[in-house]
Amino acid sequence: MRVRTSNSIHNAATKYRYLMLFTLPALIFYVVFAVYPLFATFVISLFQTTNGDGSFIGLDNYVYLFTDPTQSGHFWHALLNNLEFFAIHLIVQLPIGLLLAALITSDAVRRLTGFYRTILFIPATLSVVIVGFIWRMIISPLWGIIGFPLLGTEATALPTLSLMSIWQWIGIPMIFLYTALIAIPKDILEAARVDGASGMRTFWAIKFPLIRPQFGLITILTFIWTMNGFDLIYSLMGGAPGPNYSTDILGTFFFRTFFGFNNVVGDTDYGAAVATVIFLFILISTAGYFFVLQRRLKPHEL
Amino acid sequence: MKSRIAPVAITVAAVMMALAGCSGGSGDSGGGSDQVTLQFESWRPEDAAIWNSKIIPVFEKDNPGIKVQFAPTKATEYDAALKTRLQGGTAGDLITCRSGALNRENIEAGFIEPLKGFTGLSNFDDLSLSYWASTNGDPYCVPVASVMAAFFYNKDIFTELNLSVPKTNAEYMSVLQAIKSNGKYVPLAFGATPGDAWVLAYMGLYSEGPNYWHGEEGRQGLIDGSKKFTDPEFVQALAALKSWTPFMPDGRASVTYSDATQLFALGKAAIFPSGSWDISAVTGSTGLDVGVFAPPLPKAGDQLYVQSHPDMGIGINAASQHKKEAQVFLNWVASPAFQTIYANALPGFFGMGKEPAKLDNPLAQAWADLKVGAELTPRVEDILSGGNPDFETTIENSLQLMMTTDKSPEAVADETQKGLENWYKPQMK
Amino acid sequence: MSQVSVSRRQATRTAPDESREARRRRRMSPSVFLVHGVLIFFVVMALGPILMTIMNSLKTQQGIFSGPFQLPTATTFSIDGYLRVTQLGDFGTLYFNSATVTIVTTGLTVGLATIAAFAIVEYKIKLAPVLSGFFIIGIMLPVRLGTVSLLQMMSSWNLVNTTLALILVYTGMSLPLGVALMVTYFRSVPQELKDAARIDGAGEVQTLSIVTPMVRPGLGAVAALTMLPIWNDLWFPLILAPGRSTQTVTLGVQQFMGQYDSDWPALLAALTLGTIPLILLFLIFSKQFIKGLSEGYGK
Repeated sequence: MRVRTSNSIHNAATKYRYLMLFTLPALIFYVVFAVYPLFATFVISLFQTTNGDGSFIGLDNYVYLFTDPTQSGHFWHALLNNLEFFAIHLIVQLPIGLLLAALITSDAVRRLTGFYRTILFIPATLSVVIVGFIWRMIISPLWGIIGFPLLGTEATALPTLSLMSIWQWIGIPMIFLYTALIAIPKDILEAARVDGASGMRTFWAIKFPLIRPQFGLITILTFIWTMNGFDLIYSLMGGAPGPNYSTDILGTFFFRTFFGFNNVVGDTDYGAAVATVIFLFILISTAGYFFVLQRRLKPHEL
Repeated sequence: MKSRIAPVAITVAAVMMALAGCSGGSGDSGGGSDQVTLQFESWRPEDAAIWNSKIIPVFEKDNPGIKVQFAPTKATEYDAALKTRLQGGTAGDLITCRSGALNRENIEAGFIEPLKGFTGLSNFDDLSLSYWASTNGDPYCVPVASVMAAFFYNKDIFTELNLSVPKTNAEYMSVLQAIKSNGKYVPLAFGATPGDAWVLAYMGLYSEGPNYWHGEEGRQGLIDGSKKFTDPEFVQALAALKSWTPFMPDGRASVTYSDATQLFALGKAAIFPSGSWDISAVTGSTGLDVGVFAPPLPKAGDQLYVQSHPDMGIGINAASQHKKEAQVFLNWVASPAFQTIYANALPGFFGMGKEPAKLDNPLAQAWADLKVGAELTPRVEDILSGGNPDFETTIENSLQLMMTTDKSPEAVADETQKGLENWYKPQMK
Repeated sequence: MSQVSVSRRQATRTAPDESREARRRRRMSPSVFLVHGVLIFFVVMALGPILMTIMNSLKTQQGIFSGPFQLPTATTFSIDGYLRVTQLGDFGTLYFNSATVTIVTTGLTVGLATIAAFAIVEYKIKLAPVLSGFFIIGIMLPVRLGTVSLLQMMSSWNLVNTTLALILVYTGMSLPLGVALMVTYFRSVPQELKDAARIDGAGEVQTLSIVTPMVRPGLGAVAALTMLPIWNDLWFPLILAPGRSTQTVTLGVQQFMGQYDSDWPALLAALTLGTIPLILLFLIFSKQFIKGLSEGYGK
């Protein structure tokens, strides 16, 4: 059956008018309160301020970031840490999110779906202060159940923080996959059951392919969020997160350069350059991902 | 079911927006026609109760028409928030000033009102004023409090284990060993987690170290380039710090400053290297009998050096609309009357005026007594702070590794020195 | 279309025929226990730490550290934390401010994002993917960077220390993700439905309202994702609305976080009290948009 993919009732001019009309409110908010302030700050990265007077220095801040051994060392180190942070998130969150979404929509769980869905989502509603405090308490060698200093050892600090973060946010991939699962028309599932398919078979043969497009979405969002991540690590490990910068990610590197840390004065111009570089990195990676895998992202029209 | 959610949501939102726009409004200088309310920025939310109940009422009683609102910001966000507010023009009238480089940046940017000619400043000596001065030496903030670093100890545990207060490093080590052998208590309430690595510097190295590098002699030497961090006295100080590790709690790499405080406050640890600000944390509801001793001397008969660090000043926002009233407040802050109230309301925060305040709290007095016969020195950073790589984060990072891995004191000294030489001109010879 | 109708007819014919016995057997099968078992494990993992927080908020400071995993005993039980929190005096105001900012922003974001996303998917002209991409870029922007600029903006409009400032900023920042998500949900709406509506004489806005129920899960997802970071955000209330009358819960809670140590019982009490409304909000929103989907929309 051919599916008409274009709305041929209106001509191009009408479509243009309606498109602008409908997107204008959102655009106004977005441009005025998000795009403009950030753009203005990106522009600052082309300046250098001494004693309150700014002078235009072009791309010097960027050159400094990439050529100075200390700064570029910190930057690339933070980038690698951030990629590790992202990888752990993806590898752990996606399967578990899938598992949870599948379980709470399974036939075995009828009336308790809402209960499970809410409970499993509650950690996402907590502030990082609670998450940090309670998990730190649990793994504390002094008060908790683990004798080995996980957060204080270079090899284990980042994975531990990643797991804490995953614990908090597991509800999100779960909700995405859950909404995709419940959007599958009941007819198809009934047909499968009538045909005698077991729960597992129905899942892998029918449900899984239909929700697979969500994986791309979750991957991209996880990438963006971990690259911009900051709160938990800053709250637990401070602005120069160790041990030995092993938990320093792009977000903390940026915060440190822009706002300063402890007695260290921040540099807003240079910090703005750092933020611009991080933004461009995320942009290019995401665009690359889209171009390479775009085909697999089109959701199946039912 | 036709969904009217979207239009309904928008209508509700619009109504609430209208209501929201009415609520709030600027919170400063409201009240009666002649009444002025000064907004007072600070990084110590825990002091709010004391300011509001013990200190501000005294000022307001004598100065009807001026109200002071203590509006603190969480310490970890203070510097970033203050800078943003100063740049955005929404900072309070009174600003609690950090000492050193951070404040100097705000001064140079023109955010703080100069105090040249301010009469209250005559209550302070030049050295105190210099910590809050511009690079030209002009004063910008009134000195309010300095803090010290030394060693709290649990008197009952010492009595129980027949220990006497150590004076030299050898005595200190044997006391620690005795406590450890006994097994009942943790000798040192001291953690080495990366998030609190500053503790290793502020209450560790900069507390016991001056005894080795002779206080100001060493510090000024680093500043003017005549001494290097790799010189023997600094390495010895580092080695002395590292020798504490066997006596720190198990899993010290994950023990935070808060953990250490609680460990001591619960009576489970014997000695707590910390700062004078913790007097309230370790006494009071803990029910402990706490004493304090000075950093151990390398050898008997050596000159004692104690860390006394200028911590807090108060200045006026250059963009304030109520500078006159703010100056009245600052005048009062500079007076010995205020110093006495403050030092007694917040034991451990010592006034910096020429006239030392009389202290009611015996433990605070014991701390103040440590200064007798001792040479005082502030923490090493300040001028050395900042730079690329940043001195403070470099040394704290190295200290954390030294205390938790097998990194040697020599390696720490090397790294720190190399870091300094990368940007600090006097050290680049 | 015809194939599906046949299966549906078959399904409705067969389902009532499944005997009660067979249904009961299915409910008690070992796989059911397994499923619930796994879920309960995760529930414990999720709730355990939270219950610990609540438990510890009812202890003294010493009680917390001398036995963090233990229930409050006679000596360690204390509601002082909660008392100190209520002594702040204006916890009700904190709740109101947080709720206002969160609800209004969420409502605005969901509403505006839905309308915009509908248009982007529906009007397939060259401009649409450009707009779509423009919004998607917004997800990647580092939000804190533009703070000074925003503060100056709000200052010049006299909106500092108003909840309106927070609403405007948060809406602007939540819209990118909202639009991007709603676009993906709108893409799975069949074109025939929209065309049928139009043929029946519906205008654009009416078409939109006909289609909206089909993307209800999307609305729920966007609402949930918008709400969370706003309620728990410290930074923007700190900068844009730190005044007493406009403080949010998260801002009020930081009072208990000292420079060197925190007032743990009060802090935990404040955090517990602060999280409950958010959970309630989430419950309401998720029920609103996700409930009723068991009917499906293959009709």
